[in-house]
Amino acid sequence: MTRSSTPSTASRTSSSSHPSPSHPPFTAADDLPSESASAHHASPDPPRRGRGWGTAGFSVGATLALIVALTAFAEVGSRAGWWNDHVLPAPSVIFTELGVLLTERQFWIDAQRTGIEVAASIVFGCLLGFAAGLLFWKVPLLGRVFEPYLVSFYAVPLVLFYPVMIVLVGINAMSVIILATIMAAIPMALNTAVGLNQMPPVYLKLARSLRTSPRQTLFAIAIPAAGPFIVAGLRLAVVYALIGTIAMEFTTAQAGLGYRIRYLYEIFDNIGMFAYIVVVLVLSCLLTVALAAVGRVLLRGRNS
Amino acid sequence: MDPQGIEMTGLSVVFDTAARRVTAVTDIDQSVPHSSFVSIVGPSGCGKSTLLAVVAGLRKATTGTVSVAGRPVTGPDPKIGVVFQEDSTLPWRTVEENVAFAMEMIGTSKPERRKRTKDAIELVGLAGFEKSYPSQLSGGMRQRVALARTLAVQPEVVLMDEPFAALDQQTRLFLGAEVRQIWARTKQTIMFVTHDISEAILLSQQVWVMSYRPGTIIDVVDIDLPGERDAGVVSTPRFNELHNRIWGSLQAESMRGFQQQEASST
Repeated sequence: MTRSSTPSTASRTSSSSHPSPSHPPFTAADDLPSESASAHHASPDPPRRGRGWGTAGFSVGATLALIVALTAFAEVGSRAGWWNDHVLPAPSVIFTELGVLLTERQFWIDAQRTGIEVAASIVFGCLLGFAAGLLFWKVPLLGRVFEPYLVSFYAVPLVLFYPVMIVLVGINAMSVIILATIMAAIPMALNTAVGLNQMPPVYLKLARSLRTSPRQTLFAIAIPAAGPFIVAGLRLAVVYALIGTIAMEFTTAQAGLGYRIRYLYEIFDNIGMFAYIVVVLVLSCLLTVALAAVGRVLLRGRNS
Repeated sequence: MDPQGIEMTGLSVVFDTAARRVTAVTDIDQSVPHSSFVSIVGPSGCGKSTLLAVVAGLRKATTGTVSVAGRPVTGPDPKIGVVFQEDSTLPWRTVEENVAFAMEMIGTSKPERRKRTKDAIELVGLAGFEKSYPSQLSGGMRQRVALARTLAVQPEVVLMDEPFAALDQQTRLFLGAEVRQIWARTKQTIMFVTHDISEAILLSQQVWVMSYRPGTIIDVVDIDLPGERDAGVVSTPRFNELHNRIWGSLQAESMRGFQQQEASST
């Protein structure tokens, strides 16, 4: 039998400089190879957070620079006559129009309508999707039966069902909310189910060994364990809710930002249309930023 | 009467797989005295983890009984602490939140929780890492977190199912030596399952050698090495003698297991 490796490891650890006053040096020293952990030892939180905000700062800066560059390009191109004004008016003209819009009552009525529709679709879609995902996990048979349909539903442009919605609930906010909710619920359900099913089995063994209640198992173990997937589902749900809402307004509604864009398009008010488009873009950017912040809070400590 | 450790009487476990009926363990009549440290070594697939799961109440015995601290085991019980082979730290909780987790689940009061968390973290040598997340720790440190979580509950017995199997040999020996020291301080009753003979000798007062399926105890070896030992003991002659004896009993069993697995896979 050969035990030759032992003396060398002993000498290696005794020469280690890691301070561990309350323990024999070999104990704490050998399995602390991770440098990030040692650095962390000295100053717990700031370095990690600093890096995090550094990256965030960089991407914000890069995004702003990109927007400014594109805007400048559009301005120059439009003024120099590289393209027809009807294709894309100069940003300065659009922003001026936008400034006027913001003072108009009609704009705020449309914005409010869209805001409520998007918010309702996000809330209902996430709750519905989350509940469905949970159910698919708890009752694997249901999951096996329904998941394939949801996956293929993903590929279906649900907006196509708008005539059905109109017949069922009429041309109002409800028809928009219902379809956008369904669109948001699907990715949420799939992600939740995947996240819960991918949970390491040892977590449930731990739960069993501690005899946790079903409630504890769900809230203290399963949901946080599926966290990264649920957050990914949330992001998709928000995006789909927005797309669904705007697309539905575009096709069927009598109010809302999407409706207004189509209306302005039909009466050849190019500048007004672009002003509304800018509003929708800003709205989607705000949602993205809010989501990133939510994800950061919910997934703190992971992926570092 | 003295406090009791683990008593196993006429224990056997039979389960049905798709192909056939498997007797995982059979005829186990053994006891782990209170405050003692016993390791079980055996070839892979010998049912040692199954035996541990039965003692933990995570699996039902087909025949026979297990009692822990004088009470028969009928199901999982927080008083029977288990340290799993897989990484069971929860990545969304800091080290101290992980250590407090089991106590939270069983409803230990908050001040008590705080105190025991602090003690357990110091005991396993993780002081200074309370606010770290598992993703910032090495595999060995994560297993210490899992150990601290189990110890903080102050269980009657601690069952460890190859807790260091995923670590490299050196880390494993050092962590093992540390578990041994923790045991020397707390005098927990520990049942430790491993396939590593050196680890078993280094840690335990007694090593049980288990045969290949159907698993049963074929040899019980008392480890008469000094009580105060560290990883350096692996280079002593006595250690080699013990190692050779256990390897002697194990060799034939490993070979038998290997051949059976070969046969069933072809």
